Amino acid sequence: MEDLVGVEIEQRDDHVVVARLTGELDISAAERTGKRIAEAVPSSARGLVVDMSELEFMDSSGVSMLFSLARQVGSHRQQLRVVAPPGRPVSRVLQIVEFDRAAPVDADVESAVAEIATPQASQPPPG
Amino acid sequence: MRDLPGLFDVRVKARSIAYLFATGASLGLLTLVFPHSQEVRDVPLIILAAIAYVIAAIVWLSADRLRDWHIHAILASGTAIVSLANYYAGPGSLYPILYTWTALYAFYFFPLREAAAQMVFLGASYAIVLAVEDADMVVVRWLLAVGTPLVAGLLISQLLARLQRQASRRRQSEERMRLVLDTAPNAFITLDREGRIITWNAAAGRLFGWSEEEAIGRTMRELIVPTEHQERHDARRQALIDSKSPATEHFEVEFQRRDGTRFPGEATVSKLEASGEVFVSGFITDVTERLRREAEREALVREQAARAEAERVAQVVGGMQALVDAALAQRSLDGILRDLVAQVRGVLDAGDATIYLTDEHDRLTAGASTPGEQAGGEAFARRVAAAGDAILAKDDSLIGVPLLAEGVVMGVLVAGAKPPREFGGEDLTLLRLAAERVGLAIAHARVYEREHRIAETLQRSLLPDRLPELPGLEVAARYLPAASEAEVGGDWYDVIPIAGGAVGLVMGDVAGKGLAGASMVGRLRSALRAYALEGHDGGRVVERLNRLLWTEAEESQMATMLYLIVDPAASTVRWVNAGHPPPLVISGEEVHFLEGDASVPLGVLPFPTYEEVTGPMNPGDAILLYTDGLIERPGEHLDQGLRELAARVREAPGDPQGLLDHLLATLVPPHGASDDVALLTLRNLPVPERFSAEFPAEPESLAPIRSMLRRWLSHAGADELEIAEITTACGEAATNAIEHAGTGNGAHFEVSGRRDGLEIELAVRDHGSWRSEREDDQGRGLDLMRTLMDTVAVKPGEEGTTVSLRRRLAQRGGDT
Repeated sequence: MEDLVGVEIEQRDDHVVVARLTGELDISAAERTGKRIAEAVPSSARGLVVDMSELEFMDSSGVSMLFSLARQVGSHRQQLRVVAPPGRPVSRVLQIVEFDRAAPVDADVESAVAEIATPQASQPPPG
Repeated sequence: MRDLPGLFDVRVKARSIAYLFATGASLGLLTLVFPHSQEVRDVPLIILAAIAYVIAAIVWLSADRLRDWHIHAILASGTAIVSLANYYAGPGSLYPILYTWTALYAFYFFPLREAAAQMVFLGASYAIVLAVEDADMVVVRWLLAVGTPLVAGLLISQLLARLQRQASRRRQSEERMRLVLDTAPNAFITLDREGRIITWNAAAGRLFGWSEEEAIGRTMRELIVPTEHQERHDARRQALIDSKSPATEHFEVEFQRRDGTRFPGEATVSKLEASGEVFVSGFITDVTERLRREAEREALVREQAARAEAERVAQVVGGMQALVDAALAQRSLDGILRDLVAQVRGVLDAGDATIYLTDEHDRLTAGASTPGEQAGGEAFARRVAAAGDAILAKDDSLIGVPLLAEGVVMGVLVAGAKPPREFGGEDLTLLRLAAERVGLAIAHARVYEREHRIAETLQRSLLPDRLPELPGLEVAARYLPAASEAEVGGDWYDVIPIAGGAVGLVMGDVAGKGLAGASMVGRLRSALRAYALEGHDGGRVVERLNRLLWTEAEESQMATMLYLIVDPAASTVRWVNAGHPPPLVISGEEVHFLEGDASVPLGVLPFPTYEEVTGPMNPGDAILLYTDGLIERPGEHLDQGLRELAARVREAPGDPQGLLDHLLATLVPPHGASDDVALLTLRNLPVPERFSAEFPAEPESLAPIRSMLRRWLSHAGADELEIAEITTACGEAATNAIEHAGTGNGAHFEVSGRRDGLEIELAVRDHGSWRSEREDDQGRGLDLMRTLMDTVAVKPGEEGTTVSLRRRLAQRGGDT
């Protein structure tokens, strides 16, 4: 069976990797998807933006994936930012699990990319 | 005695009695007139005479009304009167009266002749009595006077009666025989020893035209035997008469009528002997009609046999032709060979027949045989193949012929004779003739099979192996390759579950056939799946496919296609039509086509725009997609095909499988469609108040559960956010259930739901226990559930764990 989730990886010139997720993310593909994204981030990259603005559905396995990604990029001194426009189901889930304690959640991709590209303007990640 | 013929009737008897009473009385009185002995006492006699007169008068007057018993009574009274008179007149003096009285009895009881005879004897007796009048022996005199006439009279009357009975019986018997003979349907003739006719019944008269009067006394020879048969007739008659024992002979011979016409007759003649006389009797029947009927029947039988033979030959020839036709129409090789051996067996009236085929390495292998293979057939087949010509072998019991196509031996046909039949030169000729055609047929079928197998395999690989199971939806599909195409068409269909519980339906037809067409189908199919999952709008998906076809097709290729997105949660269908026949929506009794905004086919323009159109797709509705092979008929307008399709859909059963079966049965001709036919249907099942469904304990169950829930919640009146939240919560419970079930195969869990007004209650029941290594995730899942739902209850039990989730929907004007 084909995955319900689609992943598009984009390498930006400014050393930022953007992973754009579509479809639905649940336990059937979460681990695989997380691994695929992690592998797409070179050690030279400054950070990773996981764009969930087109993601229709995400459950706790998706949240686990994000936490895991946050740990992995953090260990390489790289930044993780998640894009989830407010009002959508995904941002509601992130809100409930208080994901912003692990990584910042932005409303759109460009501002997230900009935040990573310009480290002086960024807030240091909490914790 | 009363049954004897010749009796007087009662009235005559009565009058005679009256007359005799009067006569008797008068005679008695007369004796008193003449001088008589003193012993005679006058007065009593006069009184008796008077009484006799009175009785005579009464009887005479009432003669018409008398019965037999009256007459007996009268006679008795008469006897009494005569006896008294005899007493008063003295013995012997009244003989005349006694005589008269006896006569009276005689005439009453006996026929005239016997009575008369009796009276003659009686008269003679009296004469004797009177002659011995002087004798002193009074007793003897009385006995003689009374007994003699009585005894004699009785004996004589008995004899006469018997004679009369015999005569009467003979007369009756003769009459009956006469009647039988005359009413007999057949002519009956009796001849005497010299051949003269002595009996000639009515039927003989009718048959020959001679009446009985004319025929009696003449000979059969001169009346009814044609001249040329007369000698034989005489000889036969003489032989019959001379035969020792009574004999009966039966023969058919020609007879002649009075008017000279002749007819075939059947005669049964017997020699009879009676009272020392020899004569011949015979029955003669006209058998013209019978012979005619027999001839007709024979002709009919001959005609039927001839027709059956003609039909058999026609059938054999037709069968042979059909076989070749079938091979040319690309039927399967196995089928052709099977039919072929059966046909050959029929044509040759053979016991068995086998076809050996030459393989790539020029080896012969048995292709098909019936009913059993000839022993040693293969060696014989090799001989035939080596000779390159038909061979008769084993005392004409085995025949073999090579099957040639353009000089190449495709195989060998071997047939064994069915004893006692032997094969001959004719069979060789027939088989050589058949072999030429059959060889070509096999060559053709082989080429076709190879091509078809490759293309069909490719085509099949491009169609979904099995359709996905979609909660709340029922889908069915059919693919029917064209009957007479060597190349497989470019039809394809697909069913793609997409995010949010919607499902994409695809029906397409690439114009190129064969391998080029099939490979383009493959590319379009996988591209569409990718674009659909990326969540593009239908119009954009189709535009991208057009781009793909425009830029990547080797030569100009075209395709028509339909892309539909059915969203059961929203009860809508969105569709994009690129030059394809319109899909059909079945909504209850109503059937309509999704017309509007049909755009150009793919591959025609570089940058066409395709726009989605949205329509309702309510629970219970169904949608049908098809390719033009279903509706196109040579010489028929497309509109007519569409009308026909709508009509067939209206009368079809409601379930998807039944619908497709009905359409194929009614719209595809029995010999197959002229183009490929692909059919796909989806039904949006009605939404129930409560549901309960089992799912395999595997991650792949989650998406269908979400689809089902979205649809169900949408119809329960939940808004988009509520749907998302409740679905997420339930998904967490389901994820836990899947994890707890372990990795064991066949583990299931159950999801059920019910609503009561705005109150939603969901339950997820598994068969495991809530222990997991992923404590973090589980805790997070529980947090999500508790936040998203009003109440969450986890009930561990002996057989598993049940999670109950409740939430009250916000009050609003929805579908409740």
